[in-house]
Amino acid sequence: MADVDERIAAEVAWIYRTHPRPEAAARERLMERIREARPPGRRGLGPTWWLRPRAISLPPLAWAASALVLVALGGSLMWLAPLGPGAQNASTAVTTAPAGESRRLVRFAVQAPGARRVALVGDFNGWDPQASPMRRVGGTWLLSLPVSGGRHVYAFVVDGERWLSDPAAPLAPEDEFGFRKSVLVVRDPESL
Amino acid sequence: MTTAVNLLHVTSEGSASFQFTGMTDADLVASVLGGNLDAFAVLVDRYHDDCRRLARHLLGHEHDAEDATQETFLRAYAGLARYDERNAFRSWLYRILVNQCRTLGRQRRRRDRRFVQDPEALGLAAGPPGDADGELRQALAAALAGLAPRLREAFLLKHGEGLDYAEMSRITGVGISALKMRVKRAADEVRPKLERLLRG
Repeated sequence: MADVDERIAAEVAWIYRTHPRPEAAARERLMERIREARPPGRRGLGPTWWLRPRAISLPPLAWAASALVLVALGGSLMWLAPLGPGAQNASTAVTTAPAGESRRLVRFAVQAPGARRVALVGDFNGWDPQASPMRRVGGTWLLSLPVSGGRHVYAFVVDGERWLSDPAAPLAPEDEFGFRKSVLVVRDPESL
Repeated sequence: MTTAVNLLHVTSEGSASFQFTGMTDADLVASVLGGNLDAFAVLVDRYHDDCRRLARHLLGHEHDAEDATQETFLRAYAGLARYDERNAFRSWLYRILVNQCRTLGRQRRRRDRRFVQDPEALGLAAGPPGDADGELRQALAAALAGLAPRLREAFLLKHGEGLDYAEMSRITGVGISALKMRVKRAADEVRPKLERLLRG
């Protein structure tokens, strides 16, 4: 049986080795489509209507609660900082307050002291690295965004090139690129 | 004037190739992300034929194989920022390709109800009468075509591509023990169909 299996394996390998090579025209057809495609990491703004500057109206009490949570969050990030190099990218996303009728304000934070710029990408901003740049505060990058209720997936883009999942959040199964996005569940403000 | 233009074109191509000589895949990816499309053309040159060959064997059709290969490179280009240079670029590309082939294969099976191979595309067209090797290879192609897609995928990655189980696992997202089981089950199904020819 073993010798038969070896022969079969050798035949499969033979078919592979002797297979006619595709013509160069196929590669050229591919490059034509690549040239027409949008360059990687430079996606334009999609129909993300809520990305336009707009005022978020919150009741004063909601803002006060939000401020309290942000102070608490600042403390937790200081706690995360001394964990050493492995924790350099420790981050978190915290739902802080309702933001409008169907959205809640979510504060994202990531520790990336060596980064020149960091952006938040997710299903809520069309995965556009230009849409939601984060603000640097020391070695931490921060951003608060109104996000609609439900399950969302997101990631951080460091220096416009490197994708980083949030180690402080649950991870989605690997996508087709082998990358595991972070999962954020926002409770629907209607249910509060 | 024509000569001058042609000369310029050749010089331009030559300098582009020279520019990337000796660059690793990770260097090329960084160059593409920096806006250099020519660097992606080098990655296409390096891996297009390998991808096309695997797709052809997984799908059994030249036309579907080209679709799967093109879609794989387009997706890789769009998602290049998600490539982690600690992993081999070819494995990352194969992972996208295998997913594409799974999707296309499912669509085709829904349409055709069965896996149909194009022997011409696979270079397995019948040889002259009495060609024992040709007969064996046709029987092998038929046996592979009869395998369940997940068994054929594992069997071809192992024996066609010659990959080890760790890399196969990274590409398919399937555990190593499950892949070993699939390769064994594929061999168990293929063996009886070829045994007479191999022993004869």
